[in-house]
Amino acid sequence: MSGERSAVGGGASTSRSAGTDRFGWLLDPKLVSVAVGSLAVVVVAGLVQVSFGAYSMTVGEAWRAVLDPAVLLDPRWLLNFLVGEELMRAITGFQGELPELSHGTLIVWNIRLPRVIVGAIVGMNLGVSGAIFQAVTRNELASPFILGVSSGAGLMILLTLVVFGGLSAFLPLIAALGGAVAFLIVYAIAWKNGTSPVRLVLAGVIVGTVFGSLQTALFFFADDIGVVQSAIQWTTGSLTGTDWAQVRLALPWTVVAVLLSIAGSRQLNLLLLGEQTAKSLGMSIERVRFALSGVAVLAAAASIAVAGIVSFVGLIVPHMVRNLVGSDYKRLIVGCLFVGPALMVAADVGARLGMSVLTGADAQIPVGIVTGLVGGPYFLYLMRRRQNMGEL
Amino acid sequence: MSIERTNATDSDEPSGANAPNRTTGERAAGATDASDLDASDLDAEGLVLGYPTAPEPVVDGASIAAEPGAVTALVGPNGSGKSTLLKGLANQLAPEDGSVLLDGRDVHSMDTKALARKLGLLSQESTSPDSITVEDLVHHGRYPHRGFFERTTEADARAVDRAIELAGCGHLRDREVGSLSGGQKQLAWIAMVLAQDTDVLLLDEPTTFLDLHHQMEVMEIIETLRDESDVTVVVVLHDIEQAARLADRMVALKDGEIRARGAPGEVVTEELLADVFRVDTDVVQTENGPRVTPLRARHEGSE
Repeated sequence: MSGERSAVGGGASTSRSAGTDRFGWLLDPKLVSVAVGSLAVVVVAGLVQVSFGAYSMTVGEAWRAVLDPAVLLDPRWLLNFLVGEELMRAITGFQGELPELSHGTLIVWNIRLPRVIVGAIVGMNLGVSGAIFQAVTRNELASPFILGVSSGAGLMILLTLVVFGGLSAFLPLIAALGGAVAFLIVYAIAWKNGTSPVRLVLAGVIVGTVFGSLQTALFFFADDIGVVQSAIQWTTGSLTGTDWAQVRLALPWTVVAVLLSIAGSRQLNLLLLGEQTAKSLGMSIERVRFALSGVAVLAAAASIAVAGIVSFVGLIVPHMVRNLVGSDYKRLIVGCLFVGPALMVAADVGARLGMSVLTGADAQIPVGIVTGLVGGPYFLYLMRRRQNMGEL
Repeated sequence: MSIERTNATDSDEPSGANAPNRTTGERAAGATDASDLDASDLDAEGLVLGYPTAPEPVVDGASIAAEPGAVTALVGPNGSGKSTLLKGLANQLAPEDGSVLLDGRDVHSMDTKALARKLGLLSQESTSPDSITVEDLVHHGRYPHRGFFERTTEADARAVDRAIELAGCGHLRDREVGSLSGGQKQLAWIAMVLAQDTDVLLLDEPTTFLDLHHQMEVMEIIETLRDESDVTVVVVLHDIEQAARLADRMVALKDGEIRARGAPGEVVTEELLADVFRVDTDVVQTENGPRVTPLRARHEGSE
């Protein structure tokens, strides 16, 4: 017996050398195909978005507008979009008028493309945030909003719109802050000599219920239909009217959140082994859990600030990725960075153009409605196909 | 280095190396100076352990010293506090009173990762995602040896290989944990805790629910660890005979108190089994250790 044991063990001992390339895991074939497939979806959906609308162009024209060298090869224009005109002038020292762009290029770059980019950013944030919360709560059904973020943000949105109308210029920041504060309240409620996934989820339900009621009460006091519509847009999530300002607002936080979550992927993997194992391996579990939740809230808040509370994306995306690349969080997070944008950008096509295709009316619906319509059936499919869901 | 001490009632004894050696165990004499060698020394003093939800402590004033480089088995009926005591020793549960010293340092004040480099704990029920491979699971055992941004090193790879070999799960290396049988899973988890490369290893019922073959595998792993690596092992076992065969020392718990301790031959007696486990037994000493034949359960008032 022991002879066989050492023979078997010895034979396999060199199968993985320590020097495995630091980024070798990125070339996992499944992960690569997920990334390529998602990029294709983003490109196709993005092209549809930039082609159609009040000013319609052919796909060829849209392509040419997106790849217009007058923008792509002119750092001044690129900086103008990415960091804003003032910063662009400060960086380049350029004081004159920017060169003129063609009509199509202007529409695509000023109006339609930023919306696609914001959608992609929101998708990334929600996917990563959901993935983190699913590990932290060890629950597959956790979403970025499970720890009160959405209810805090929603309440602040309603308060701002209905009561403090003068502050509506700061609505994005107020909503994001509201979400973060609600998360802290949830944590404080759940804390009793440390916390646990179940306590956190319960505290999230408590805060969500109370804040949700208050939010509904505020709806009751809104007497202007415009305010109500605006509130619904914010609380269901919408990309209508987003432009480069939203890109500038969300991008830095997104970069920070994404880098931190990739750096934290080993901790996330360890959390999946359960609290006891993580603790006995020397993880300071409360600190790690709070820090990772903080990263996830940062990502969720960044998406709320630009798009409101988009439901379901943060719940489904990690699921889809997990089915495709497995539960290793390094791959999972990277996968979410591609699948999130794909889902979000594709859903926004439906949100922006769906109504006009279906009814001919020139109306847009909040993208959150489309993600919900897609998300429900996807879960039905999962439920039918798999025996057990829930615990990770 | 003294090994045995009785309950908290006489815990005014000096802790540490000068406590009188009360044991009669054969290995104890040899291990007297073991703390100077590689083997580590785990020493709990007047430990009171409980859970916030329970009014009464589960373990009430236990003092236990694991003999360096030897196997100490904890036995006792369900609910006697064995697992709780193990958690206390591993600093998974903050003691309400008392202390645990690992090579003279209080485990509660040690950095969690530093502690995890010296002391490993395998809990009773471990869960993992089904799709993780055995090798990846074992790699997690290296967690305390790595900094936040550090990548795996040669040393990590060697430790993982060694652990997998020692646990005899080389043939399972690339299998997904979800596809393994209960026994194979346990071997994978043992490999993980071995990869942690600690001087002290605490195992909570590692053989429960396993078939005979895998039980023997686990026992052989523990014996190899003791004989070749001088690891100090504390193991909770349900099977008295198994415990007596494997262990150098046995500690019997009941209702959170230590009722007996010593060499297996001294602990596994008909009187003690009647007292601790409330069963009438027939104990015969054989060359493979004591053989325990349970006769009947004792009921309240039948004494």
